[in-house]
Amino acid sequence: MDRIFPTGFPLPTAFYLTVYMITLVIHVLFMNYVLAGSAFVAVSSLFRPKAIGPQLPGTINGVLRDWLPFALGMTITAGVAPLLFVQILYKKSYYTANLLLFHRWMSILPVLILGFYLLYLIKRIRFNQWSLGRRRLVVIGAFLCFGFTAYSWTENHLLSLESTTTWTDLYAREQMHYFHPVLIPRLLLWALGSVPTMLLGVAWQLWFYQRRIGPIQVRPLQISWLALVGIILSLICGGIYYGLVDDATRQQFTQPLTSTYLLLALVGLGLQFGGWALQAASTKLQQRWLILASIGLLITLLCMTVVRESARLVRIDITSLYEQHAQLYKTGGFFLFLAFFLLMVLVVAWIIFLIRRNLRVLAHHQP
Amino acid sequence: MELPYYPINDFGPVMKGLVIGGLGIFHVFLAQFAIGGGMLMCYFQWLAAERRHALARQFVSSYFQYLVLFSFVLGALTGVAMWFTTIQLSPRTIGLMVDQFHWIWATEWTFFVVEVVSGYAFYRYSAQLDDRSRMRLLQFYTVAAWGSLFWINGILSWQLTPGTWSIEQPQLWGGFFNASFWPSLLFRTVSSMATAALVACVVINTMPNASRDQRKELINKTANFMIPMVLMPLLGAWYLAVFPDDSRSWVLGGSPAMSLFMGITIGASLLIGCYALIGLFFQKLYINGATATLLCALAFGATAGAEFVREGVRKPYTIRNTLLSNSITPQEVAHLRQIGSVTNDPYPLRGAEQLPTEQLRLGARVYRFQCSICHTPSGVNGLTHLTGSWNGEQKRLMIAQLQMTKPFMPPFAGNAEELEALVQYLEWLSADRPPQWPTRHDPQILQQINEWLIEAGTATAVDKAAGRGPAE
Ligand code: HEC
Ligand code: HEM
Repeated sequence: MDRIFPTGFPLPTAFYLTVYMITLVIHVLFMNYVLAGSAFVAVSSLFRPKAIGPQLPGTINGVLRDWLPFALGMTITAGVAPLLFVQILYKKSYYTANLLLFHRWMSILPVLILGFYLLYLIKRIRFNQWSLGRRRLVVIGAFLCFGFTAYSWTENHLLSLESTTTWTDLYAREQMHYFHPVLIPRLLLWALGSVPTMLLGVAWQLWFYQRRIGPIQVRPLQISWLALVGIILSLICGGIYYGLVDDATRQQFTQPLTSTYLLLALVGLGLQFGGWALQAASTKLQQRWLILASIGLLITLLCMTVVRESARLVRIDITSLYEQHAQLYKTGGFFLFLAFFLLMVLVVAWIIFLIRRNLRVLAHHQP
Repeated sequence: MELPYYPINDFGPVMKGLVIGGLGIFHVFLAQFAIGGGMLMCYFQWLAAERRHALARQFVSSYFQYLVLFSFVLGALTGVAMWFTTIQLSPRTIGLMVDQFHWIWATEWTFFVVEVVSGYAFYRYSAQLDDRSRMRLLQFYTVAAWGSLFWINGILSWQLTPGTWSIEQPQLWGGFFNASFWPSLLFRTVSSMATAALVACVVINTMPNASRDQRKELINKTANFMIPMVLMPLLGAWYLAVFPDDSRSWVLGGSPAMSLFMGITIGASLLIGCYALIGLFFQKLYINGATATLLCALAFGATAGAEFVREGVRKPYTIRNTLLSNSITPQEVAHLRQIGSVTNDPYPLRGAEQLPTEQLRLGARVYRFQCSICHTPSGVNGLTHLTGSWNGEQKRLMIAQLQMTKPFMPPFAGNAEELEALVQYLEWLSADRPPQWPTRHDPQILQQINEWLIEAGTATAVDKAAGRGPAE
């Protein structure tokens, strides 16, 4: 690929790729919150038992414990959309990986249900009366559920890039899992990359808290530091990953298609870094630095999604799928979707407005 | 398009459809609970706002806790799991459905988002909201929940009755608003309302500070939601009337299993309906938690039966006239009879070393590709049991004319060697897998099989009865 995405692809393919990537980014935003958030609570529980004691509003753990169940609901819901488009784009390879990892997908269902109920448990008042050991078990258990899910998606993705020979081999050996040398570094990259996203989400929630209710109970400097460390570690992990991928993929990273986006992703990372560094100098959470970091985050995520996709194209010959995409492009319903998508945005905005208005009225009545 | 081969998993003695059907039933039941639940909550919120019932508000809060706890978590996840299980059953079917209806699915997804956001907002903030805002949230929730039924119903009903859609002329809306769209949508709406009302009776019995009289009043109010059940016989008849003729004949006695499931659904619904109408509506009786739970279990049974019927009546297709149950298109059958159905299948046989000859291995692969979606070797719907009393010649004839043997089976889609290999495989299984087995290549027998295959043709029994050949 020597042309920059989305040029260089026929319109239908470019179109489905774009829709897929946008919906995947939405999924990733929520997924990062759940993955890094549950990890944060689990790790805190080991070092600071207070973190899983009575819920403290205005702290990172407080916000996370309050909002993780909803974030998980959104992760799952947001996952459905890229699930739809990945099937459109790469039918056979995606289905084959799914079929080969059958046991995995059947076990993800109970695992995610378990994770969900564990998150609800953490929110309950009675949770605080449990012994420390039991509470630790719950929060670590929840994290393991989501870690397992992330592992499975990464495994599925890597398997979907394989050749028919690998597939038939795996099938004949009745192997229930697929191991690839880059699997762990890739998973680690996802996990570390989740940290800055999650912290930014939490920082925004704390910023609203600070504005509406009162001073937050965590030093903004601490959040900044954590985010900066997260960014640096993801960068290092990214470098290691780059060194581990096969030559063809590494070569792809230097092609204009990918290198442009890789560079832009680094720029986004720089913006995030700058936003957090400037925030570190302030004693309160500052809207403008959070906005700066948010812009950086969106650029990084969008561009890294293009990079991720271009690496897939090293393995899957997308030109052989152009004809299929063109055929699908003719099926109706896109404008119906667009109309309802806009309506959805309006309704969600309205709901947020409705609740804020009610809360404001309530705050007014009880000084 | 070239026929795609996928790895086929083996579930031992359990039929694949059973594993997946079980999950489907669970999901549908939860979805009905969510859809009807939204409507019921609107109704009780209205009662609360109008001050028509002292406990209506409290009831809405308790009920919503259950709705979120069960329906959000389990409903959403079983929904996602449905994707994965349908992929397991037939990637080709789901692939074709996604091809045709991806924008409808994407539209349904926007409804999911509204459902989750409005539902969670209500769950989290309803105590701090005024009546009007509460009502608004519940309305969003209800419209979103029912809307998702509306969209998915078009896709699922299209599988049985594709309307004016065909693979050559894929008219989206002609397929979506197909003959069974409306009866199916209305039927499901009514059963959703009934399901939600039954769950409500359980919830009311768990409300801590309600007196018995207050509970009774609440229960009698929920009974209003079961009144539409009187329409069920009518809607059911309408639904049946638009079934393709052959599908209708399966449930009306043509297939004992399907008729049985149909009977379960009708029986359970009748019991619930009569109880609701006579007991709750006319006599204003009280029902305790145990009875309410029992009625819920009956509703679950009715749902289970209905889902089995719905999945079953599509046979021998997964998408009527377009894709056969074993993921072969009607057009491909003739071609596969020429070249063999598994000649190009790259997936090796699992445990191949346990089969003594190459012919048996071929037979096992033919079984895997063409029959394993509906049969097991010796478990549920096991082929060795079904063919146990037949000699070799009978087996060859019955399989060569598979679509005549049972009209809900697809035509045999392989060549004579493959059919003979399949017969040998079945005989070897019946003989308890001996370590040695002769290879049979009798030209006369192959000749005979070929004649039978030609006689049977490549069209399904359904098409034959309608005087159609296989689609060209
Ligand atoms: C669409 C699902 C489906 C497929 C595919 C299918 N069958 Fe069947 N078959 C059935 C059902 C359902 C029955 C009825 C079982 C009963 O009556 O209990 C049946 C019955 C049979 C019987 C017994 C018939 C009789 O008269 O008692 C035989 C033999 C049989 N199948 C062989 C096969 C073979 C061989 C294949 C593969 C080439 C195959 N079937 C593919 C669904 C299917
Ligand atoms: C907490 C739960 C979840 C976690 C932690 C998670 C994590 C991930 C990760 C790490 C990836 C990237 C894989 C890679 O590129 O290596 C991914 C991709 C994806 N996820 Fe999720 N996920 C979760 C739930 C879901 C659910 C429920 C769905 C479906 C409804 C979903 C749909 C997808 C899709 C479609 C992709 C893209 C796959 C591809 O392109 O090959 N996810 N997820």
